[in-house]
Amino acid sequence: MSVDETTARAADKTHPTSALPSRVRPSASQVMQRYGLVVFLFALSAFFSVWPETSGTFLTSANVRTMLANQTVVTIAAMGAVIPFVAGQFDLTIGAVGVLATFVVGALTTKAELAAGPACLVAVLAGALIGAGGGAVVAYLRASSIVITLGAATLIGGLILLYSKSSSIVGLPPSIIDFGSSNWLGIPRPLWLGAVVVAIVGFFLRATVTGRRLLMIGENPDAAALVGIRTQRLVLVAFIVAGALYAVAGCVSISLTGSASPSDGFGTTFQVLTAVFLGATTINPGRFNVLGTVVGVLFVAVSVNGLSLAGASDWVQPVFTGAAVILAVSVSTALARKRAS
Amino acid sequence: MSVAPTPTRLHVADISKTFPGTKALSGASLSVSAGEVHALVGGNGSGKSTLIKILAGVYAADPGGTISVGERSVAAHEVTPQWSADAHLAFVHQDLGLFDQLSVAENLFVGLPYPRRLGVINWRRLNAEATGILERLGVAVSPDAPVGGLRAADRTLVAIGRALRDREDVHDGVLVLDEPTARLPAKEVDRLLETLTRLAAEGQSIVYVSHRLDEILTVSQHTTVLRDGNVVARRATDELDIGELSQLIAGDTVQSAAAPTDTLFGPPTLEARDVWAGPLRGVDVTVAAGEVLGVAGLVGAGASSLLRAIYGAQPRRGTVRLRGQELRAGNVAAAVRAGAALVPDDRLRHGAFATLSVRENVSASYLARFRTRWAMVDRRAEQAASARAVDTFGVRCPSPRVPLASLSGGNQQKVVMARWLTGEPQLLLLDEPTQGVDVGARAEIHRQIRAAARRGCAVLVASSDADELLDLSDRMIVLRGGRVATSAHRHEVDRHWIAQQVFGHDYLEEPPT
Repeated sequence: MSVDETTARAADKTHPTSALPSRVRPSASQVMQRYGLVVFLFALSAFFSVWPETSGTFLTSANVRTMLANQTVVTIAAMGAVIPFVAGQFDLTIGAVGVLATFVVGALTTKAELAAGPACLVAVLAGALIGAGGGAVVAYLRASSIVITLGAATLIGGLILLYSKSSSIVGLPPSIIDFGSSNWLGIPRPLWLGAVVVAIVGFFLRATVTGRRLLMIGENPDAAALVGIRTQRLVLVAFIVAGALYAVAGCVSISLTGSASPSDGFGTTFQVLTAVFLGATTINPGRFNVLGTVVGVLFVAVSVNGLSLAGASDWVQPVFTGAAVILAVSVSTALARKRAS
Repeated sequence: MSVAPTPTRLHVADISKTFPGTKALSGASLSVSAGEVHALVGGNGSGKSTLIKILAGVYAADPGGTISVGERSVAAHEVTPQWSADAHLAFVHQDLGLFDQLSVAENLFVGLPYPRRLGVINWRRLNAEATGILERLGVAVSPDAPVGGLRAADRTLVAIGRALRDREDVHDGVLVLDEPTARLPAKEVDRLLETLTRLAAEGQSIVYVSHRLDEILTVSQHTTVLRDGNVVARRATDELDIGELSQLIAGDTVQSAAAPTDTLFGPPTLEARDVWAGPLRGVDVTVAAGEVLGVAGLVGAGASSLLRAIYGAQPRRGTVRLRGQELRAGNVAAAVRAGAALVPDDRLRHGAFATLSVRENVSASYLARFRTRWAMVDRRAEQAASARAVDTFGVRCPSPRVPLASLSGGNQQKVVMARWLTGEPQLLLLDEPTQGVDVGARAEIHRQIRAAARRGCAVLVASSDADELLDLSDRMIVLRGGRVATSAHRHEVDRHWIAQQVFGHDYLEEPPT
């Protein structure tokens, strides 16, 4: 037995219930993996704050506030998406369900003259229902989640076109727009909502029994079933919660833009996927995680915002985002493999 | 036997390997002559796998050692997979890495350019070359048969054929076999060992890694024993016997678990009636509290199916009661809540959560017990329980927080075993509980099983290892033709009886070979 091993054992014996038992000290490269993207995010923000092209506008409270408020939609949707991803399932309905939610709210408030609150509630239920449909097919028929959710997203996009006849809903009641444009304690209200969602999902995945079980399913579904986890039911639950959160994101989106415009939402879907995959490269590298995902959202937001303030051409943003996805996925895959070897 | 001055084919000197928190090898050396079968043995975590991975260029050794194959010599920390291949070091791992859907010939030549004619694969030539390899290895199968349908020993031989494919006649390298017999039934083992002996006689050097000590005594000329990363012995095999070998491996005398005693068992814990599942056609099983029931049978006789069907992990018909409570078919969660625990045979594939920590792996099956307010996992209690389990089972890990995958294979097995035994189940279903485990760990696992039974747990053990069944069981049943062919008490049976019953009458009528 080596010296390290002996001391580790001895330490475990003296403090059997210590919350922080002796652990292997992380190496410099591990720290870098963990916080690399965070450091990069701060460096990027610092750069835009001093770069002459953007220094006058980037760090103003108005810019920061608008940027963060706009990112709330992506953040909340990403909190939904990270749940099925942790359980080893893909979900591509993110944007489609969000757009559907804006139409549900738009139609109910303008045509049925429902109040904003109940209308959003109906939209969230609709999102959960769509999640339940796709989740049931994936969980119980063991169909490929990529294919099923791709089909579902396309289908929903088509139905939105059918209903809207390709035109937007405008003229929403002011109560909806109020939420998106007002502050609470100097901070935009959508941001408060986003923070609450992040806290709840983060707690759910990290600290609860169900969160741990989702992680186990994502890691080894066979072994998870053999330890008595109802894997199918939990995968279904993951899709339901995710669908509901995409709809919440849709509700926030309509309160910010004041309109519902027809789209299949794939733009949003890919933005969210970028953040989720970027997130798997940081904080808890090689694993989808909530805090990492928030860092991913902020990273894309800051870079896109800074570049557009600098007056970069239209092509710069998609090139940057695309490169970020490729880099994120390759790095996170490599890290996951390294963990498993 | 080889002729007097045999050149050294493989020489490994002074190899060390440090992982964060552990030293897997310290100054190990290994020397293999031409045409020799050299056994490499040691407990789980003794450094065998690390040594093999260094030879294969998968791990870089700490600077300092050297590795020579024939005339080629290299500093041990500079070995690359390419160097290893160029030096003709060939590896066959426990997981053979065959493609079940592809044919024998395709498997043999996978990774090489297939012979072509007019740009199309020349199947006739491919099959002819494959037939040549198969004949040399004594495998009587067609080159276009799918590998998935082959018998276990033939699969292993196909993997060996692939490893040696382009140099059957020039034996200038070393063939490294890692646990080649871990999943073979006894009859198939003999065939494999015969072939290996013949290859060695032709001049092939073989490094043979196995936990089955009787095989080592049969097949090898020299034995190197590793313990805790050190070479503790290098001996001519014919100077050794099983007792001495186990002692060298374990470091202290291995005591087999206390022999079963004629205890009075409690009320029936498990009552399974008329179970139909997989190959099973109406099986009745009763196990009392505190009793260990051994299940013997050939591969495919349904021992695994029986355990899985009782547990709910496989569809079944028939009724199963656990302490009077009926267990519904296909509901594992309910079975676990009622106190059942299944340790599957392929523990790494069906039991391990590789990137989760040791702690998370230990608590996996009883996570609900650590539920506190807000449905949270009580990490303190979880940590304490996993530290206890790690201690009880002698798992070697720097901390219960490291990922399971960073442990050696044997230690991962112990973690999965600990997961089920620490939960104090009422019914323990064990499928090949010591497959691929070293002697020391095997005795420890047997002790734990006995301890569980003494606590009043009903135990059902399926094993293809007759000694294991004799060691553990109070009573035994033999599955044949989908039914319970016979049952007997421990004191009525011996190895011979088990072999006879398992193979049935066909076996008895076969002329001895």
